[in-house]
Amino acid sequence: MRTNPITPEERGKAFATQRKPEVLKKQNLDVRYHIEDFETNDRPGRFLEAFAAILKHSNYKMALDHFIRMSAKCGRCATTCQVYQATGDPKDIPCYRSELLLSVYRRHFTLGGMLKGRLLGSGYLTDEKIQEMAESFWNCTACRRCTLECPSGIDHALITHLGRYILSEIGIAPRALVVSTREQLEGATGNTSAIPVPALIDTLEFLEEDMLEEKNVEIKFPMDVENADYVFIPAVSDYLMEAETLMGIAAVFTATGDSWTTGTGYFDGINYGLFYSDRILERVVKKIDAETKRLKGKNVLIGECGHASRSAKYYLPTYCGGKDAFPVINIMEYTHKVWKEGKLKFDPNIVTEKVAYHDPCNIARQKWIIDQPRELLKAFCKNYVEMTPFGADNICCGGGGGTISIDEIRPYRTTIGGKLKADQIRRSGCNILIAPCANCKKQLRELVEDQKIDCEVMGLHDLIYKAIIFDDSLIVKKDVQPENIAEEK
Amino acid sequence: MAIFEQGDVKIDVDEDGFMEEPDQWNEKVAVALASTEGVDELSEDHWKLINYLREYYAKFGIAPMIRKLCKETGFPLKKVYEMFPSGPAKGACKVAGLAKPTGCV
Repeated sequence: MRTNPITPEERGKAFATQRKPEVLKKQNLDVRYHIEDFETNDRPGRFLEAFAAILKHSNYKMALDHFIRMSAKCGRCATTCQVYQATGDPKDIPCYRSELLLSVYRRHFTLGGMLKGRLLGSGYLTDEKIQEMAESFWNCTACRRCTLECPSGIDHALITHLGRYILSEIGIAPRALVVSTREQLEGATGNTSAIPVPALIDTLEFLEEDMLEEKNVEIKFPMDVENADYVFIPAVSDYLMEAETLMGIAAVFTATGDSWTTGTGYFDGINYGLFYSDRILERVVKKIDAETKRLKGKNVLIGECGHASRSAKYYLPTYCGGKDAFPVINIMEYTHKVWKEGKLKFDPNIVTEKVAYHDPCNIARQKWIIDQPRELLKAFCKNYVEMTPFGADNICCGGGGGTISIDEIRPYRTTIGGKLKADQIRRSGCNILIAPCANCKKQLRELVEDQKIDCEVMGLHDLIYKAIIFDDSLIVKKDVQPENIAEEK
Repeated sequence: MAIFEQGDVKIDVDEDGFMEEPDQWNEKVAVALASTEGVDELSEDHWKLINYLREYYAKFGIAPMIRKLCKETGFPLKKVYEMFPSGPAKGACKVAGLAKPTGCV
């Protein structure tokens, strides 16, 4: 897929910074994202210490030893990277980005590199290089599309993740993510959006009332039910932003009658650790495990969110019991399964608009969830269109890898990160774009607004809520007259 | 932390211009903050929205779900965006003196 590189004007807009010169000077680091104040002395020394500590306590060394031998810098990844395709800047080619960190590893952590460095007196890590890494690693949306093309099998996204991890250990990480995870792990509310339990309960009761009004069915959000089959953990921001997605999910469970519950002890699937810190990744995953244990649940059910699904599915086994860890499924897998079993009925005449489906990278790249949502959509949408490329080869929304939460880089995300996606949406001519991911939804809404594309972005279950047909036995018969009840008896 | 000054309004704000000390909020502050959001004048509708946000925040410690905000104030989302171009979570919350929303909001 090709696009024309951005114009100089667009470039100026995308890279414009909202940051104050005095803060940049004080922090001695020129990046576009806000950072909390951190120790600026001897950054190279502290970077290397953090790098060494991480290597000691992880398996990254094995991967890096392999990558430094295999990296041929052939540049095939350039064709897949949507950031490079938009900027045309060689510094945005994935293997250039990876080399920033690999060269540090080669120089400071391999025998050959250390000897060569000593003999020639060159290549010691500098402040400038840290500056370049701090900027470059957060220009990437961590979509992992480059890993598909690399003939040497180098996982550039893993290197970006490791680079961000080391930087975060010396205090360089976007404030938006740091503040959110601090609230999640140490704050009073225990979730990234800082929603207190009474507000959660108020919200769910409000939605129940709304659904009764609209559908004439008692659709409930069960709370703190023990022994449920599914412990439901969405991206917590859904409780503020995505009413219709949650309503669709509750509607599906009402139609099937399966047991599910939301736990008031922990209800946030968001795990920014996946984007920048393994230590945080582990602690957040453990909160999901603890809440599921507390409720004696059987499965962890993640809502419409790509990274929440991937972080739970792949890291619950890593940190919480290996093969004995709770099974993790995504809500679309559940809805697809019960639909296949004949437990869901849709009205095929409700959705007449042109509908397209956007694959969230975190569930599509590894070919985990691709066909299920499409089969569901085709079951009741008259006019379904496909954007190409799709599935495992999809184009990222442009706000992946945690960048969506960094509001101050919105111009970058909607001008560069999402440029290819905007082209794709425009070409499809869709009126409704389905994005089953809290992250993608926010980014795509900002993208269509900034790029002036006339299209509504929503979740899969938003549409299911519109089209679902309930069994007669579930309809509340509020208009039945007393004498009719007597007759029925 | 930075200081935001306009007329006789002087408040502590974060790098995004949200209030650091929500207790310092008053109607004059709202007018001053609105000007940073491209809103030159606060109409009756603006105040209705701001007051609803503040009441909910005082009760629950968080902004309401957007659907609830629209339903309870009677403003469709489109209208909210017309009133506050950067949207309910950013523009309206900032003017109402709420903390900056965190997470994927």
